[in-house]
Amino acid sequence: MYRSSYAARIALEYVKIGRMESAIIVAGLRKRYGTRTALADVALTVDAGEIVGLLGPNGAGKSTALSILATLLAPDEGSVRIAGHVLPGAARAARQVLGLVPQEIALYPTLTGRENLHFFGRMLGQRRADIPAAAAHALDLVGLGERADDLVEHYSGGMRRRLNLAVGILHRPRVLLLDEPTAGVDPQSRERIHVAIEQLARAGAGVLLSTHDMEEADRLCGRIVLLDTGRVVASGTTSDLVSSCGIAASLVLRTSRPPPADWLDGLSSVRVLSANGTRATLAVDDPMAMPILLARAARAGGDVVELRFDRPTLADAFFKLTGRALRDDNGAGPGAS
Amino acid sequence: MLAALRAALGKDLRLLLRDRVGLIFLTVAPLIVITVAGFSLASLYGASARGETAYVLPVADEDGGRVGRAIRERLATEELVQLLPVANREEASAIVRRKEAGVALVIPAGTSHALAAGRAMELQLLTDPVKYLEVANVRALVQELRHGIERKAHERAARRLERLRARMLATRADFQRAADSVARELDALPARLAEAQTEVADRARAAEAGAAREVRAAVKEASELRLAVVSTRLASELVPLRRFVGEIESTEAAFRSWMRSLRRQAGRYADRIPPPPELPTIPFAVSELMQLDSDALIARLMGKDAMPAPRFTLPRIPTVSAPPLPTLTLPSLPELPNVRLPGALDLVETSVTGAPTRLNTFDQNVPGFSVTFLLLGMLLGVSLGLLDERDWGTLARLRTMPTPFAVTLIAKLLARFIVGVVQMVVLLAAGWMLFGISLGPEPWALLLPTAGIVFAGTAFGLVVAGLANSREAVLPLGSIAIVTMAAVGGCWWPIDLEPRWMQRVALAFPTTWAMAAYNDLMIRREGIAAAWRPTAVLLAYGLGYLMLGLALFRRRALRAR
Repeated sequence: MYRSSYAARIALEYVKIGRMESAIIVAGLRKRYGTRTALADVALTVDAGEIVGLLGPNGAGKSTALSILATLLAPDEGSVRIAGHVLPGAARAARQVLGLVPQEIALYPTLTGRENLHFFGRMLGQRRADIPAAAAHALDLVGLGERADDLVEHYSGGMRRRLNLAVGILHRPRVLLLDEPTAGVDPQSRERIHVAIEQLARAGAGVLLSTHDMEEADRLCGRIVLLDTGRVVASGTTSDLVSSCGIAASLVLRTSRPPPADWLDGLSSVRVLSANGTRATLAVDDPMAMPILLARAARAGGDVVELRFDRPTLADAFFKLTGRALRDDNGAGPGAS
Repeated sequence: MLAALRAALGKDLRLLLRDRVGLIFLTVAPLIVITVAGFSLASLYGASARGETAYVLPVADEDGGRVGRAIRERLATEELVQLLPVANREEASAIVRRKEAGVALVIPAGTSHALAAGRAMELQLLTDPVKYLEVANVRALVQELRHGIERKAHERAARRLERLRARMLATRADFQRAADSVARELDALPARLAEAQTEVADRARAAEAGAAREVRAAVKEASELRLAVVSTRLASELVPLRRFVGEIESTEAAFRSWMRSLRRQAGRYADRIPPPPELPTIPFAVSELMQLDSDALIARLMGKDAMPAPRFTLPRIPTVSAPPLPTLTLPSLPELPNVRLPGALDLVETSVTGAPTRLNTFDQNVPGFSVTFLLLGMLLGVSLGLLDERDWGTLARLRTMPTPFAVTLIAKLLARFIVGVVQMVVLLAAGWMLFGISLGPEPWALLLPTAGIVFAGTAFGLVVAGLANSREAVLPLGSIAIVTMAAVGGCWWPIDLEPRWMQRVALAFPTTWAMAAYNDLMIRREGIAAAWRPTAVLLAYGLGYLMLGLALFRRRALRAR
């Protein structure tokens, strides 16, 4: 009964939030570490109830951006508004409405899940009387109600991730910053976390999700902000990013024997994207060429054992926009990624 | 804010209580180290720790006399040593060579006799020079014991001498009294001689008179005896006469009776009868002679003095004149010399504070190692605690929360402060219960330096946390600092063992002031007044460390941004 009324209060809170301005507004954000530019003219917005993905290779500036948004770092230039509170002057007010779920598990291992929530609840400024219900709600949301009184050190990795999220959402934040919240967790925990994040967003929280998981971003995020070398290289929906990259759909074809090199001669609408023995990835510009393609494949390579049509994905766009070269974290910034 | 502080404090205390290794480090580990150090370093203080660390002292009593017995009995009561009687010096030497003892004592044969005869003797210590501390302590003990025995012998001799002197004085007094008496007697002798002469004369006269009386009595008796004989003879001589006179008188009576009968018979003729012849009359003298008894007769015959006393002259008893008395001059006794044995120079040790002069090694070690572990606990609790929070990610998370980070920091320091005070109280109480340490006349006064050193240690932990960036840096940095502070500050050994310059350097460390206060309260048994100044200094150190630590921490936080 109490939980129901508590959930209703949360819903009301988020209804109010929904009427307010954007959860996050960032403009002209710059941050340098010595001679290295971590962020350069970064601009992004996250509206209430929106989940925005913050993507980028290591060292792109995601963690720096999140740290600035989380009031842990001061920017060199630019403006940051968190639920209307301008940083860094209103950092304390911003913290009242800010929830951070850091990439690393930030919990006390020798406290129970409930004790962690109670402690962080007090640190978040919640009233003592409100904390038990808030904690129970958060625990239910992340599916830890039954294990709430176990020590965190006895939790699995997935449970810790979920509790980590529960701490971040305990005080019903209007702005939720998630830094790879599902890194290294089992599929069940990942699913639970995704559900919880979606619930929060539906309730009106503005969520900025930093992740390397393209599938996760594709599933959860309404918009994507792609950072590379401290700059926003693309932003928009997944479709926008994919289409803006000009990536065509591809056909994966595998035959029983390697076809000869000239087996596609004369088919100008078909290009070989990659070929490896019996497997070839092809770009088919004209769908009408498909019957001819299949006939030639059967003739040149024997039986067609696999035929798959791949639509362009966010990962494709990501690689297209950021390249496939390895990015080593140079460690110049705090948790640079 | 206070609610957040309480929550943070509760969290830190809860974290600590669930850290079993940490709890062991805070309590059990110090107790183990205190126990080991206490027993190991007991000899450093020249005192036993409840007798468990007594030196094994082989004693070869080759004397077997009174002195040897006294030494053995005395050593048997010493807590510092565990007496091990052995047969001879060879056996004692072998024990020292086997390193089973650092020193052995040999009481040479004849020691008792020699000392009794006034000759010097030497006790012998067989020593292992490596165990110099043991040797020094046992040597001091034996010296003390030897001195005690000498003092007792000295006291006995002095008592004997005093008794002898007293007897001599009494004898001298007796002699003097006798001499005085003789002198008085001599003085009185002429008078007494004169008196005796008078008495002799009187007695001579009396004797003469007596002799005269006796002579006269004898003469009288002889006279009377003679008279009696005469009387008897006279009476016997007079018997026929008296018989004849009687017969005459009876005849006369019979004649007269006849006459009267004749006349009666003659009747008328009686006239005719002629008168008979008159009978002669008995002369009066005869008649008187007849009537008188012999004595009277003798008296009549011999007159009044029937036997006149013989006249005689007894020889005079010559008087003897006393010979001239010699003049007796008694020699005067010389004054007894005031002979005394030289007094013994004794040593009485008195603690100026009234505390016992012997130190319980744990009185030093319990607070010393407690402070050491307290500082280590503070170092780990504050520095590593903050590093833990950083590693756990909670530090960054807390910084994103509305509660000021200072609250988190203060709560952590406060938790460590509370834990530190409890740790010290537990360790001191354990020391009191397990090792019998003194808590001083006012045990609660120990809370003052405890609070001071805990505060300083807590703040020092913050300094180390501000200086060191990693766990790997905290341990060497903090350990070096704490080990130095503990060692120089007198936590591990009495600070007085250190050279003067180091003692002056030690004033720069809070440990020095804490140990000074603990030593004053626990060992010197002083009151709370002794703790105020060290506590104030400790609090000042704590404030200084706190400000430095906060500055360092702030600088690091700013760098991190």
